[in-house]
Order: sequence, then C-alpha cells, then structure tokens
Amino acid sequence: MAGLQDIRRRIRSVKNTQQVTKAMKMISAVKLRKSQERLVSLRPYADKMKAVAISVVGRIKGQNLAEGLELGPSAQAFLNPREEHRIRVVLIASDKGLCGGFNANVLKKATAFFAGRSHESVVLDVVGKRAADWARKHGFQANSEYLGIPLAGVERVSREVCDAAALQYQNGEIDALYVIYNHFFSAVAQEPMVMKVFPLDMDAPANDGKSGIAHLLEPDPNTTLEALLPRFVETEMLRSLLESQASEHGARMASMDKASNNAGEMIAKLTLTMNKIRQASITNQIIEIVSGANA
Amino acid sequence: MSEPILLEVVTPTKRVFGAQVSEVSFPSAANGYYGILPGHTPVMTPLGQGLVYYVQGGQKHWLTVFGGFAEVGPDHVTILARESETVDEIDVDRAEAERSHALKLLKEAQTEADLGNAQAALDRSIIRIEAAGHPGGHGY
Repeated sequence: MAGLQDIRRRIRSVKNTQQVTKAMKMISAVKLRKSQERLVSLRPYADKMKAVAISVVGRIKGQNLAEGLELGPSAQAFLNPREEHRIRVVLIASDKGLCGGFNANVLKKATAFFAGRSHESVVLDVVGKRAADWARKHGFQANSEYLGIPLAGVERVSREVCDAAALQYQNGEIDALYVIYNHFFSAVAQEPMVMKVFPLDMDAPANDGKSGIAHLLEPDPNTTLEALLPRFVETEMLRSLLESQASEHGARMASMDKASNNAGEMIAKLTLTMNKIRQASITNQIIEIVSGANA
Repeated sequence: MSEPILLEVVTPTKRVFGAQVSEVSFPSAANGYYGILPGHTPVMTPLGQGLVYYVQGGQKHWLTVFGGFAEVGPDHVTILARESETVDEIDVDRAEAERSHALKLLKEAQTEADLGNAQAALDRSIIRIEAAGHPGGHGY
C-alpha cells in the first residue's frame, strides 16, 4: 500500500529531525553553563560597583556641587543629565535563530522604544546578526556591527562601545547611552529590557539605606570619580552582553527541548496510524481469503 | 566580637574573599598603603597594585591586587579589584618565569610602550613572588 510507505518515510524523517534538535539542545546546555558561570561570577562585582557608584555619586551631587567643585568630563556625564536630543543605543540580539522568542521579543522591545524617535536622533550599535537585520529593515544605519562575538570577546566589545560613547558624550554628540538586551533570570525565563547606562538616574535608588554614608574620596573627588565612572559603565555594558548571551543559550535550549518533545509526539502519532493501516490491510486480506474459500 | 570588619574582595571573574576580619591593609593608587581598623572613616579610593593583607584569628593572610577600587566603611571593606588572587592560587614557578621573561623584555625594549609593558609585567611578577613568600599565615 502506498500510504504505508509514505508514513514510514515520514517517521524516518521526523526521527532525523529529532536527532538534530536533541544535539542542538545538548550543545546549548553546555554553552549555557559556560556563559552562566561567567555571568554569575560577574554579578557580585557589578552589584557592588553599582552600589558604590550610586552612593558616591549621590553624595557628590548633594554636596560638592554646591561647593563649586570642578568636575571632570565623565563625572559630569553622571551628575548633569541633559535633555535627550540624540541618544546612542546598543541593541543586543543573537547571530543565529532557532531560539524561540529570544530575538523576536527583544526586537519588539526595540521597535517600541524607537517609535516616535527620528532616525537621525539615534546612534545605533548592533550586536548579533538578527539585530543587524532588524536595523536594516527599519532603515537604521548601524554605527557599528558586532557579529559572531565569542564569550571571550565581550570585554573588548564593551570597552570599545563605552569608550566611544563616553567620548561622544563629552563632545556633546549624544546625551545618553542605552542598552536593549535580554535579561537572564533563569535558563527558562528571559525578559527583554531597556537599560539606561548613563547618565545615571540618581533620584531613584536614593532610599538604598547605605547611600547615606558620606565617603571621603581620596586622593580627591575628581580623580576618584574619573577612575570609577568609566569602569562602572563598562561593567554594566559587559554585564548586559553576558546576560544576553546566557539568555540566548537558555532560550535555545528550551526551544530545542520543546522541538524534540514535539518530534517524539509526532512519531508516536504516525506510528499509531501506520499500525492501523497495516492492521486494516491484513484484515482486508483475511476477509478476501475467507470469502474466496467460502465461494 | 573581635572581628568586626566584613572584608569582601570581588573581581569581574570571581569572588576572591568574603569574611569577617579584624584588620585590613591595601595599596591605594595615590596615597600608598591604607591600614583599616574597625570604625574607620568611610573612604572611597582607587587601588594601585600590590599586596593586601587581612588579619583573621590573629593571623595575617595575604592577597595580591591589581587595580580597581576600595570602599571602606566603619564595619566593612569592599575591594573591587580588576584582578586579585589568594596566596594559594599563585604559581611561584610561573611567576619566576614571568619575571625572567619580563627582565629580558626590559633589556630588549625599543620603544617607550615596550618599556612600559615590560616594566608592568615585571612589577606584577614581583608582587606575586613577594605574596607567595608569605606563607598562608605566619605569626602576628
């Protein structure tokens, strides 16, 4: 029977696909572990850095400005937020697909974020091929494209972007730096986020409790801030890149797991149909033989 | 009780140390070594490179630190180091090899930049060797 052959062929092909998705899931699991380790080891540092920066900057803003302190360029970036005429945005997605809603979600977020902004008011950096494609489709001229960034390369990217952005800020070419990325909550939960890297929103975390500590800044406030703030910005950027990488692998692992399960279900269904057809044909043949013998 | 300072040493790649101690010393970028006892005025300063020691259970323990920041409060010291390692993590043979390599580079250096790099490498290896010279903790 023709139907039987077809079904057998389909089962074979679904099995092959299942093998591929299973392998991809395994690869993602390994990659996820690596990037998650890196992220988890960075988080305490980044959190501390943020707490220190906020506490120090909060105090400086409260007191030293009143004392007429001359601030260096990067300190000003944090202490004197300007009206946002032109912004720089880093959009982080992945190079490859097959990772569920990972890219779609973050790009949807980006579309919403850019709605109402003219193309001229945005300097866009894209990380990942999907983000680059999105930018092209929406008519953005990407300032720089980072494609195929390995886990070891994220530090270089964050340094490059932050250095360039800080310089642009000082020259008055941009008024803020944003990152749009997937925040990693767990292997199965990621959420797209828009984070403002600088100028820092100093008013929000003032009730942190620890921010009341009045630090002496040695050797002097300016030197300390000039050293601290670029480092802080870089750490935040590095962190969002790592969050995104971990999220990507998590999302891919989850979606490949689902695909493998779906393939399994499909194989079960097809096998059932195949058995039914086979049984039907056997029954038919027996009836024919019996009725033939009776005649 | 007698160990009222919470010392935390974190780098971008790991948490090097975190525990209660009774005394800390670290190298700043500009003002030489700071010695921190309980109740210190809150200070925030960039770090230089060199040796950090803390006193725990009446014994001195050593860490290396290369750049970063220190934040000091009355009951805590947070060291955000660019790089840091405990004495146990230091490979003395490797540090010695680095030192002789750096010395060689220093002699061969042609440009200002080469010279700077070689000097920095030499300083780092010397710090490591010095740190390793302190046993896990000797009498205080």
